[in-house]
Amino acid sequence: MTMTFSTEQAADRAVQALRTRGFDSIQVTVSETQRVELNLARNEPSLLRSNAARKLSATGIVGGRRASAEGSNLSAEGVTTLVEALWEAANAAPSDAANAVSQGQRLQVSRGPQDADPTALADALRSVLAWRAEHTPTMMIEEAEASHVHQRLHTRTHAAGGEGSTVDLNLGWCELSVFGLAREDGRTSSFNGAGGSAEALTDATERFGLGRMMRELTQQVHTQPLGERFVGDVVLAPGAVSDLLGWLMGQLGDGPLIDGSSVYRDSVGALIASPLLTLKSRYDAPGCAPLSADAFVTPPVTLLEAGRLTQLTPSYYGSRKTGLPHKPVASEGWELLAGTTPLAGIIAAVPRGALVDRLSMGRPAPNGDFSGVIKNAFALTDGRIGAALSETMINGNVAQMLKDVSAVSVERIDGGSIVLPWLRIGGLHFS
Amino acid sequence: MFTTSSYLEARHHELRKTRMAMVDGNLTSNLRSVQAGVSARAYIDGYWGFASAPADGAGVQAQVRSQAAANARAMAVFGARPSLMLPGLHYRGEQRLMGRSPMSAGDCGDRMAELHAYCMARYPGLKSTRVMTTDELHTKALHTDGGGESVALIQRVAVAVVLVGEDDHGTPIEVRESLSGIGSFGDIDWSVQALAARLDRLHGHLQAKRHAVPARGGLHTVVLAPDLAGMLAHEAMGHPCEADSVLSGAITADLQGKHVASELISMVDLAHHYNGQETLCPVYVDDEGTPAEDVLMIDRGVLRQFMHSRETAARMGLPPSGSARAYGPDDEPLVRMRNTAILPGSSTLDELVAGVEDGYLLLDTSNGQADATTEFMFGVNLAYESRGGKVGAAVRDTTLSGSALKVLQSVDGVGNDMKWSCGGYCGKKQPMVVSVGGPSLRARAQLGGQ
Repeated sequence: MTMTFSTEQAADRAVQALRTRGFDSIQVTVSETQRVELNLARNEPSLLRSNAARKLSATGIVGGRRASAEGSNLSAEGVTTLVEALWEAANAAPSDAANAVSQGQRLQVSRGPQDADPTALADALRSVLAWRAEHTPTMMIEEAEASHVHQRLHTRTHAAGGEGSTVDLNLGWCELSVFGLAREDGRTSSFNGAGGSAEALTDATERFGLGRMMRELTQQVHTQPLGERFVGDVVLAPGAVSDLLGWLMGQLGDGPLIDGSSVYRDSVGALIASPLLTLKSRYDAPGCAPLSADAFVTPPVTLLEAGRLTQLTPSYYGSRKTGLPHKPVASEGWELLAGTTPLAGIIAAVPRGALVDRLSMGRPAPNGDFSGVIKNAFALTDGRIGAALSETMINGNVAQMLKDVSAVSVERIDGGSIVLPWLRIGGLHFS
Repeated sequence: MFTTSSYLEARHHELRKTRMAMVDGNLTSNLRSVQAGVSARAYIDGYWGFASAPADGAGVQAQVRSQAAANARAMAVFGARPSLMLPGLHYRGEQRLMGRSPMSAGDCGDRMAELHAYCMARYPGLKSTRVMTTDELHTKALHTDGGGESVALIQRVAVAVVLVGEDDHGTPIEVRESLSGIGSFGDIDWSVQALAARLDRLHGHLQAKRHAVPARGGLHTVVLAPDLAGMLAHEAMGHPCEADSVLSGAITADLQGKHVASELISMVDLAHHYNGQETLCPVYVDDEGTPAEDVLMIDRGVLRQFMHSRETAARMGLPPSGSARAYGPDDEPLVRMRNTAILPGSSTLDELVAGVEDGYLLLDTSNGQADATTEFMFGVNLAYESRGGKVGAAVRDTTLSGSALKVLQSVDGVGNDMKWSCGGYCGKKQPMVVSVGGPSLRARAQLGGQ
């Protein structure tokens, strides 16, 4: 479906409506998103979807009192309703001197394929189906999607006496994901999935680790528990590595910094991870932009420099609330730099442990303690890959795991918004 | 039972949400949202097409219907295939809001600030609090070409209070009290007075956690409090009993009619009522227009029924159960749970604990995940050792896991208590509002630890 609608004009109109209502400071984003998505279900093409969506997101501050509202009705009547609801909510909120909006930011990005190519999407799914039939016939693709997304987004801010911010994004990208399990002789593997975003979906099964994931699923039908307790190593695949990074990024952001529970609040400049780890932004990845949620342009950043934490990542509000420096980052577009050891070499060096594709775990405790089930995993003994595992748990501490990384693979999986290698980490308790 | 080889449903869906968060007394999130959209889904010549758009455009309803049909026809690029005969009735009826008037934004913010101030004043040594509130209201007007015309509502509210402290080593620790219910903020009593006793108990747990010991990893006898039993029902056996998972090869595919659990275990996915009362997530008609029916998944240990959409029902030659649900205006219906529970037994919680020679009492959970193999996991953020039939030291955060089949077969006691909650989301391509319920249970399961 197509829409004929000026998102830019809608953003300007919304700012004017909020100014007229009496807000001191304003942030408005109007976005329009078009999605075309082909779906597989149970190894067969199943559904073609087309979504058209619009959203007005507005934050208003009056007398230091702040509220936010979102709506999909961008008619004059819809905007008026939203503005009145926002006015009521903001006036009822407590005044907080830390409330403010970005000023003087300028960003224009236009990138990626702007129009969906249904033929290319169909070809991508055909190639996945053909690859499955040839290489992994026991795999059941429970669901798979090939999609194109086009998003236009306009953000405007205004504050009395200041220079407002102006952000215009026009992004197009493709996405592909596959999710399923393998089944043989009445037995079933754990499910697993892989996917990512890219400018195009050619060579589909060579992207995002899809082929590897599907092949490994067929090797995980017959499993056995480890059946004993020991302290050993894990080799974490990129999917599991992202869980570690997710916890780290959470610790550097507003919530734990404001309530004082972040274990890294006083760690800027300190070695908080293995010197083998360098985490950098890649805001030019498909679907990504150098922009924070509170409308600050985000310069390229190396967040972990050879294991050393270079900065915290509070929002503008979080910074003003805590007194910590404001160095904005975008939520998506990151890469962990490749190491120097081939994955095969990393595996060959593990005396006892497991190769783990997925961590199924409870939310780590505030200090990083966690335990979880290792899923889609293989036993490692004397450097060799052994049986697929079931009902095996590991126990450790995420902060300590980041320090205990002893090898980083040469190989990485490029998921688009995040690129990650395999990591070897010691000192995990298996049970 | 009516059947049809082509089908179209059209939905007008409005989703209203409120999200507020107060961290250490600071209102960090104060958001209201309204998303309204129209969608249509067509089944033509064996393929589905779906389209959605914002609801405010002129002629948009006709446009999405036409686009959905065009999308279904476009799937012919993958080749011709036979159509399924989609079964099921088409519901006609309108659900109405029955709750009290909602609280204003100001009253909600004041209440959150009161809770924070109360906790900080009453519990010396407390480092901070987090108070999170959310409510959402779905209004779905559905038309099906088979004659269905309905308006369905889902409205739920949830409040959580987190107390943050430090253990003996200065490490941050936290405990959480959650309250959820059907309706809006005006329909549950979350005043300081109403929560005072619960907060005192919660602070007691926080104090106990200051000296918590690590769980011993391995297989243990555990008593699951009702919150965890509900999670077990949902994650461990609920997902593998969704018929699309069954058709995709979940291990339950070969187990219908077989003993999969102790005879003490009966498990249901209820449509809209339990014991004469409306459930927290009542579904009278699903998003395909099918009248919703209860699904008895496990009857005294025997696996019986699965949850169905029209398509999965057609593939398995069974009637649909009214389990096809779509979360947002842009989402197509998928097979989803509604109100999933293990039914209560006859033991008291004290009796269950008294029977544990060396194990654990698990009281609260943070999150959970399921697997097609029925292997499950959920985070445990409040637990105690249980030795010689008595509750002992608090245990650091851990994880419970196991094969649901083995765990449910090991159940040797089911409580006569029953607790329902609807505070979280189920995740399966789309999020979904569901409720879970259960009594206390005693079973054998794996705990993560050293």
